[in-house]
Amino acid sequence: MNAYITSTGAFLPGPPVDNDQIEDILGRVDGRRSRLKSRILKANGILTRHYAIDAAHRTTHSNADMAIRAARACLSSSPVPMRSIGLLSCATTQGDLVLPGFGSMVQAGIGIPEVELHTSHGICSSSAMAIRAATNSLRLGEHDSALVVVSELASRLFKHTRYEAAGGYEAIDFDAEFLRWMLSDGAGAWLLETRPRGRCLRVDWIRSYSHADSFPVCMSIGRPTDQADPRSWQDFPTYAAAEAAGALLIRQDVRLLDHIVKLGVDGALRLIDEGLLDVARLDHLLCHYSSHHFRSRIFDLLQMSGAMIPYEKWFTNLYTRGNTGCASILIMLDDFLRQGSAETGDTLLCMVPESGRFNVAYIHLTIVEA
Amino acid sequence: MSRTVEIARPAELSELAQATLRRLLRAWFDFERRLARIPLLQRLDAGTFTREDYLGLLLNLRQQVIEGSRWISRCASSFDRDHADVRSAIIGHAHDEHRDYEQLEADFVASGGDAGAIRTRTRNAGSEALHGYLMYRAGEPNPAGLLGAMWIIEGLGEKMAREWASRIEQLTGLSPDCTRFLRYHSENDGGHMDKLYGLLDRLCTTQQIADDMVCVAAVVGRLYALQIEEIDGE
Repeated sequence: MNAYITSTGAFLPGPPVDNDQIEDILGRVDGRRSRLKSRILKANGILTRHYAIDAAHRTTHSNADMAIRAARACLSSSPVPMRSIGLLSCATTQGDLVLPGFGSMVQAGIGIPEVELHTSHGICSSSAMAIRAATNSLRLGEHDSALVVVSELASRLFKHTRYEAAGGYEAIDFDAEFLRWMLSDGAGAWLLETRPRGRCLRVDWIRSYSHADSFPVCMSIGRPTDQADPRSWQDFPTYAAAEAAGALLIRQDVRLLDHIVKLGVDGALRLIDEGLLDVARLDHLLCHYSSHHFRSRIFDLLQMSGAMIPYEKWFTNLYTRGNTGCASILIMLDDFLRQGSAETGDTLLCMVPESGRFNVAYIHLTIVEA
Repeated sequence: MSRTVEIARPAELSELAQATLRRLLRAWFDFERRLARIPLLQRLDAGTFTREDYLGLLLNLRQQVIEGSRWISRCASSFDRDHADVRSAIIGHAHDEHRDYEQLEADFVASGGDAGAIRTRTRNAGSEALHGYLMYRAGEPNPAGLLGAMWIIEGLGEKMAREWASRIEQLTGLSPDCTRFLRYHSENDGGHMDKLYGLLDRLCTTQQIADDMVCVAAVVGRLYALQIEEIDGE
């Protein structure tokens, strides 16, 4: 049994926000302009993004709202009746509620009755886990259709008040501020079926390689600013105390980020070695990392070893849609299909790197015509 | 005097050399993960690495650095007349590095270590195994597989220069005058890579040789990691 992506949908909240407007929405910590913002934006190359909060920090769309809108967009362009969907497979990095699972809230919002439910937990690669669960279920013949819905609402973490509660402007280090200029909000959905429908995408294979056994945590929420303090946010007497200690800030250990590029390459070389990935035959690479991470040494090595995927085959919407974390790859495929350069027979590699504790997922697709 | 034949960077590697480079890259990434699992280097990541850790590292690296020029010289002399160009390239490499250990000793003393202690230090179990293996391999006729060893050891030199040196300074408060050995390998880095591409293209003539390079890289990676693991064990 095969799995085919027969429809896609995306939802991005509000108007695009350009680089000059970011601080008008997220706010200035202690009323002061960030010292790091322009440097980080220059490095990631993002020009516009979307936020599900407004300048008064009211949430315009909850995480579940965005997921539901993306799901509806996906289903509206498919003849598959919502009520017939067998599996709802969801992912997010942080639901609106700590409990129950995100999938329950999405199911309630869409209104699918008696569906089998899956929610995966993690950061960016939680999307690939949700896609994997859906694909497996169809391949096993358990269901005829599965809806994958993945949503990211990062901006609530970036309100200036969060940083002020953790010590304010002077207390915020680079690692705690890095993602403020990187992540933004959005949701995507893919409908998978066991039979092709019109022009659609066959899921050829999914592979992922996690390296948490070798490397420390690189991106996290839950640890206090003081690295010598081993407590998790749940170990503090009150959540207010955890927040004051910086344990509710989202952090990126920037020093470790290089590993994700190398591990992404390592996984790709493994797939080439196993005969699953044919670089010469590949038509499109979809990745929410910008290509400039592959400059210099690693670029030279890939080029010389015949493993480099030429830049003209790279597709990314990172610069206009922002980095929407786990939702990225779903929104990216939707944008890719809409921009219309894909042809029947083309092969796509979707690469989903997660720096959390280093997991990289790869999804290989072929465009087919029913 | 005859013209010296230089091994230059080829415009493009042969298909076999390309496939071998991909496998060597994977052997390197595997080695990096092995290193990342060693407690001494985990302390470097976690920010708890001390001056004592640094002294222990230098103390245990010295023997291998001294022996390094010996196996490379032996390796060069084991290439026959049909490989004169390879021999020249490897002799040059041995010459470049054969007194590196003096820099290492100076760094050790500058960091507060005792000169007598480092000069009388014997090989740890990992250094012993690594040295024994490399000397045995270097004595074989035309030991092309040893390019896999150079790949791992050169790569580590570059990693020390790029990642370890400034991190060690930051955590121990030592000045760049104490980390000159670690930094040494960042000089002329492009030249090293060009030579490596050239040697790879030149030596990857059969699948058997290619397999041998990858095998040596894997063994050297494991033994090098053992050498660093042993620092904490002593």
